[in-house]
Amino acid sequence: MHIASYLSSLMQMSRLVKKSPSVCTDLPLNSSDVCNKLRLMKELLKSSYGPTARLKQVHNNIGGAVVTTSTSSVLLQAISSSHPIVSLIKGSILNHVSRFSDCGLFASVFCLSLIEEAGRCDLSKNVIIRVNKHLLSLCTAHLQQEDCGCKVQLDFCSSQSLITLARSVISSKPTCVLSEPESAHISRLAVQAFLLTVPCNIPDKVRLGRTVTIPMEGHSVLESAVFPGLLLDTPENISLGNLCSPLRMVLFSASLAGDLSELGDGRIEVHQGVDTDSQIVDQLLELGKQVLKDEVKLFVCQKVIHPVLQHYLRCNGVIVIERLGISLMEPLIQLTGAQPVATLHTTVPWEAYGEVHVSVRPFGSKTKLHLHPAGKTTICTMILCHRNETMLSELKLVCQKTEHVLRLTLREPCALLGGGCTETHLAAYVRHQSKNDVSESSPVLGCSQTEYLLAAEAFCRSLESVATSLEHDDGASLIDLTHAHHWTLPSDATEEHLEDAAALCGCGVVQSCQNKKWSYLNTEYAEFSPEPLLTASPLQPTVLDSFTAKVNALEVAVETANLVLDVRYVIQDVN
Amino acid sequence: VKMVPLEQLHLSHVLQAVSALESIVLRSFGPEGGQVLFTRDTGQVMVSRSGKRILTALHLDHPLARMVVRCVWKHSTITGDGSKTFVLLLASLLRIIHATATKDPHMFQPHNSTEASEAATARHLADRLLEFALTELDKLIVLNVLPHGFRVSLENFTAKTQHDLSCQTLLVSFFRTRLGYAYCDFFRNLFCELLSHWKVKDDRPSFSMQFLNNSFLALHTQVSGVPVSCSRLIEGQVIHRDFATPCPQVRKQPLKAVVFNGYLQPKLLTTGDVLELRCGDKVTEDRGIVHFSSWTEKSVESIIATLQSFGVSVLLCALKQSSAVLAAATQAGMCLVECVSEEEISLFTQLSGVTPISDCRRIHPEHIATLTFCKPLLLGAHRYVHLDFHDCEERLKVKPCSLVICAPSEGQADQHACAFQDAFRMLLTALEPVRKTQTALEETIPSKKCTSLHADNISNGTACRVHLHQKCVTETGCVISAGGTFEFLLHHALHQYGHSCSVSVNTSAVVPVSQLLEKALLSVPRQIYSHNLKHFLQAQTRNGNMSLKLLDLGLESVSCKYQLVLAVLQCLTNLLRINMVLRTHAVLHTESHDSLNAHSFMIPMSH
Repeated sequence: MHIASYLSSLMQMSRLVKKSPSVCTDLPLNSSDVCNKLRLMKELLKSSYGPTARLKQVHNNIGGAVVTTSTSSVLLQAISSSHPIVSLIKGSILNHVSRFSDCGLFASVFCLSLIEEAGRCDLSKNVIIRVNKHLLSLCTAHLQQEDCGCKVQLDFCSSQSLITLARSVISSKPTCVLSEPESAHISRLAVQAFLLTVPCNIPDKVRLGRTVTIPMEGHSVLESAVFPGLLLDTPENISLGNLCSPLRMVLFSASLAGDLSELGDGRIEVHQGVDTDSQIVDQLLELGKQVLKDEVKLFVCQKVIHPVLQHYLRCNGVIVIERLGISLMEPLIQLTGAQPVATLHTTVPWEAYGEVHVSVRPFGSKTKLHLHPAGKTTICTMILCHRNETMLSELKLVCQKTEHVLRLTLREPCALLGGGCTETHLAAYVRHQSKNDVSESSPVLGCSQTEYLLAAEAFCRSLESVATSLEHDDGASLIDLTHAHHWTLPSDATEEHLEDAAALCGCGVVQSCQNKKWSYLNTEYAEFSPEPLLTASPLQPTVLDSFTAKVNALEVAVETANLVLDVRYVIQDVN
Repeated sequence: VKMVPLEQLHLSHVLQAVSALESIVLRSFGPEGGQVLFTRDTGQVMVSRSGKRILTALHLDHPLARMVVRCVWKHSTITGDGSKTFVLLLASLLRIIHATATKDPHMFQPHNSTEASEAATARHLADRLLEFALTELDKLIVLNVLPHGFRVSLENFTAKTQHDLSCQTLLVSFFRTRLGYAYCDFFRNLFCELLSHWKVKDDRPSFSMQFLNNSFLALHTQVSGVPVSCSRLIEGQVIHRDFATPCPQVRKQPLKAVVFNGYLQPKLLTTGDVLELRCGDKVTEDRGIVHFSSWTEKSVESIIATLQSFGVSVLLCALKQSSAVLAAATQAGMCLVECVSEEEISLFTQLSGVTPISDCRRIHPEHIATLTFCKPLLLGAHRYVHLDFHDCEERLKVKPCSLVICAPSEGQADQHACAFQDAFRMLLTALEPVRKTQTALEETIPSKKCTSLHADNISNGTACRVHLHQKCVTETGCVISAGGTFEFLLHHALHQYGHSCSVSVNTSAVVPVSQLLEKALLSVPRQIYSHNLKHFLQAQTRNGNMSLKLLDLGLESVSCKYQLVLAVLQCLTNLLRINMVLRTHAVLHTESHDSLNAHSFMIPMSH
């Protein structure tokens, strides 16, 4: 105590303003305050997990916008970290989500469960860390195997499994408030948009295209649609009557507002009578003349176009679009083959022109200019409609995540069974393996056999608690003792009625039958090796999770938990 | 500047300050130690087990504590290791000196106050201790510690064979103290792989190590959000910038690249220039200001045309280029990378053998590098430029490769990168370059014989032999089992030395200073085995017969340890020479008293 009080006096900061001393915590995981914070965080994230999640409203104390969400990326960002350990976990999970867009809640719930379970069993932290690492490599090795029981190979010949994967992502975000047909529609659109961005004739290297999302508020979700090409806001009173497709177009990245930026730092003294403005406008009109001479019919500029030039071009029957913005430049270049022009004084080279088909598409109260190329394109536009702004912004986020998850399947064309079945399967597998290899593994890891089994039990319980978190309506979570899949029992049913109450397991592959045995999760059951499913199973999985994202989430969760368990001292700068 | 009352420094203050630092460092010390977690005032989270990082991250106000941290920082920046032991040993020495001084304050000269005489005694003891270490310590180490150690050389690190595990163990022990048990083997393998790639054939091994240490910043990339096990080596160099122009997909190979120091578009008006636009002038008739800006655009085109005539397709620029340059490069089908950092340009020029161009109009063939590829590389959230050099293996006799360090969070990735950098420093200290005059001698003594020769030495103990082996402490990569072996052996040696001194001199009035160090040294293994006292006693009794069998304890470098003891004693002497702290207040805003800035000056004792 004497040292601690002295430390705080040492840690006065010597800056211009005296800062408050750092707060130090010795052995943070032993303090009840830290444990409570972690438990609270776990409960918060747990209740937001899965399709029946409880939604969270986030609003700040100074009257910002209210956000309703159950998405980990939004939720975690909203948690203002009151403790460094919380922000350490938060940072790791957010990094994972930004790379893989999925399984953020899985990773955080699993990580927090591991920390909690480690606190419960009375083992040295070093032993737990080593056993966790060993069991993680056991899990990843099992998941990478061809015959892994919870892995499904994706069939690119039919879009069915892709749609299932997309639908699992979309339906796990209840904030979108989608009905069954609506979520099916959005899943189909997401897969359609993804397939449009995959190039058909592949050169030596695959380069995926892009989906541009346009949100539209106030329409029904079923009006959402995907178009190949780009949709741009139309300039006022446009007529395409006398224009024959395809049109020649030019794209400027330089500002055409009449400013000269690249002159340097020196001063310019303008004497009376010199009209620099008119000189520049003359130069711009010169450019306009050249473009007209080259029969350009569509004139697009990333930045602002001088009104005089705009007027001149419009009078000569050219469609003018200004302020395109940097984000649409790259798709437009890919779509039209135009090269952006950044110079005003040299003549536009012939190669810089692009070609594109143009049509006008009415959409609700607005009309949009639809640009689509003559041949194939990997650029597409997705119009997302929803009834109000909150749902729409969540839907947009979900669609972006779905696109990312679908793209990940190109790297590894497989998926994992969803609905908690992967977790229960892995738990059963690890429990079985650790019983078998206890005599070989424990000396390598430098611990006794009992310690090894205790730590392995904590690891399995944490995995199972993630599966349990999917249930929010007081139902019970069960595991069947043949395939180790996850089953939920509604709160009003008892175990005897399980055959009637739950016809299918969490992922929808296993059917319940008379001679199946079940056990409640988080109760003791005899370890067993999960049996592989029959390959000729008539049932297709109804819930699939991204393989790449989930494996990474698993590794990130264990590594983060291990790091947190290794923390012995916390120094917190509270300024 | 106004003066405030002087603040007398007592020995107990010094001890208190160092003990406070010790209490922090202890949490990550030894086999049971863990991580220390920090938050900065920016909200950034940082984890570390490195004593240097932990101590430098503290915002300390106490001038003495800051001085200690500076000493630790200096020591571990050179040796890359031993910062926690530094604080531990310093605290232990101070405690023992404090105890000695309070017990017998008037040992050397009578003073009017007890505190003053205590301080004088402490200072005197510290001075003598340093003097003793500078003259006697190396001999003691050569005679008593080296016989129990063995030598490693850099060749062993890159050797594929597994028969010599000692170097691998040295690295594993280092990474274990830094990153914990979970990743030490993984990073050891990565480290050895990196070294074997960069090993210059037929050259001094430490040369490539020095090179890696110096250019580590440009050589590694940190990626967050992916598991640690994804860390790997990739061929060539990574430039931590994205292409500023779209990079065409199919390219002919090899590619030609040029490095630019300046702007490609000439700045028309530099600061101080004045452009006057007059009415009715010749210039104005020629369309005035427009003429100027069109001239700069034309000059860009001519530069791009010159580059095209050389077949150049990759431009690396240190500065941000104008949009006109980017558009011209795009149209010419060139890849342009802007804002490349100084370190990366320096590494690129060293590996490619070209010089950067500052004047774009003068391009010669010697400015043009040849690359086998240059493509975008997605690492984590960022897209970087990935390139490799065409004939590096013939020219430089190395296979250039870069290190990708992955971790779930930024703080962890940074921790791993720091550990890597410090591993270079530690090895450089352990295997200091052999001086030319000694090379012949080195070669005649094979590593195994070295040990037995030392053993002979103890029995003969002639001055000339000692002199020969004295060089060994600093020159060869001598290592010894970790887990307090060095401290036990030196403790034992000092004990015998103190005994022989007291017999020969026979002056009981003077405390042999070697006894102070002898006692203090034991505090290090005591902390290592703090969780298990039985192991401490076991380790203490077996110190006579340390051998290769104890490899499971890990290894540490003797020369790092030797330098550590010297650095601690120097720091101690410096600390005890101060008797007063003078706090001066520099007034920044005369009207406000809140924003006073406290500066502290320390006055060395005058006697």
